[in-house]
Parts: sequence; C-alpha cells; structure tokens
Amino acid sequence: MADETSLKLRTTSDPANLAPTRHRIEAFCAHQQMNPEACDLIGLCVNEAMANVHRHAYGGADDQPIEVLAERVQRGVRVSIRDWGNGHTPATLPDVKIDPLRPGGLGLICLKQYMDVVQFSPQPDGMLLIIEKDRT
Amino acid sequence: MSDFNTGTDLVPLARREGDAIIARVEGEIDLHNSPELRSALLQLLQGGPAKKLILNVSGVPYMDSSAIAVLVEALQKMRKFGGKLYLTGLQPRVRGLLEIARLDTIFVLKKDEQEALQAPV
Repeated sequence: MADETSLKLRTTSDPANLAPTRHRIEAFCAHQQMNPEACDLIGLCVNEAMANVHRHAYGGADDQPIEVLAERVQRGVRVSIRDWGNGHTPATLPDVKIDPLRPGGLGLICLKQYMDVVQFSPQPDGMLLIIEKDRT
Repeated sequence: MSDFNTGTDLVPLARREGDAIIARVEGEIDLHNSPELRSALLQLLQGGPAKKLILNVSGVPYMDSSAIAVLVEALQKMRKFGGKLYLTGLQPRVRGLLEIARLDTIFVLKKDEQEALQAPV
C-alpha cells in the first residue's frame, strides 16, 4: 500500500466488485492493526453499504460510480462510501428487533450493530456514508 | 440415494437420502453470486417434497444479507411441505450474521450432516 494510512478505491456498482473491494478493505484494516473480527465486520458493512447503493441509489444499475475511501483515524478505521445516485437517506436506522422471516434491511442493521459511527450525509448529487470502527 | 447436478460450483455436491436433501455449499456468497445459490436451491427443491434440507456450509467463509435472503426463501418453501432447513458446519463469521438476523432461531443448526440426518423432524 503506497499510502499506508489511507486507501482510495474507485469502482462501480457492479456486484462483481463487492468481493474484491471487501477483500482490499479488510486487508487495509488488518494493516492498521485492527483485530481480525473488526476487519471482518468492516468488510461486511462495506459490502452491505455497496449492495444498498447498487439496489437503492442506482436502482440495480451495474455501471455507476462508487468511491470507497478507507482511512486510519485515531480510534480505528473510517470508511467513506460515496455514490452519485438518488440521494435518498434511510429515514431512520432500523431497530435491531427484526423478523427473521423478513430479512430486508439487514444491511442497515449490520451497520448499526457493528459500527461505532454511521453517518449518512446527503450530497447535492448523491450520498456520502461514513462508518467508523474503533480499535477496541 | 441419488445425486443431483446443480450446475454451479457454489453447490458442487447434492444428494437425496430418503426424505432428506443434502447439499454442500462452497465459497463466499454475496449479491454477485447469491442468485446462483437461489437457482441451485430451488432446483434441488423441485425434485419433490422433502422433510429436511441439509446445507453443509462448512466451506462458506462469508455470506452477506442477500445470501441470508436466499436461505430464508428456501426455509419458507420447506415449511410449506412441513419440512425444516438444517445448516451444518457453520464458520464463526457466518454464524455471527445468522445471529444478528436471528436466523439461529428459525434454522436448525447442527455440527455436521450426520447429526442433521439423525435429528427428529
């Protein structure tokens, strides 16, 4: 990694990009001395956030841009996921109480349950999602 | 006992033993390939009603919410026949996601295929 404290990935909304992006983010987190479980959880949350961008922000389109920026911060790792889609914000993050037979919204529940910071910031031309996971 | 060919590397081995369908699932599963898993499972279930669908997921190190949705759909189809879905050999990362989705309460989790085969329906 050329710049060891940040990693910027420019990719597209094609679900084929989920695994390679997830793997690179997990490797970055490991490089920042995050514990293996935290690396896995950040990878999962980036995967879920990108899948939601594909499904909701871009209406299933495979060829739209997504930028993922992972950064070392004082308390752990921050990942910013930028899209240029419809800019709709989930009105509220769902409660962790879910019906197991209706798994929709699970991605957002993962964000809420596993991340220490989850912040949706609507942009004039899309959405910026910031998630953070502490080292401890 | 009869073998199935699901036509996908995600489910390389599947067979029927009595009233049970047993399938081995392999690889990381996310939104990119979960439709493939869905097709394979639906194909297995088209072979006739079964009381048990046993998925050996010991070769699945990762799955996301789209894979969870596929498993729930398979479970709902099994329930129509009065059947159950068993998951065996769960890796920790997959178990964690099942727990957060509370699916550990609706699937039957077993150590291995043999234990699932011997479990009462």
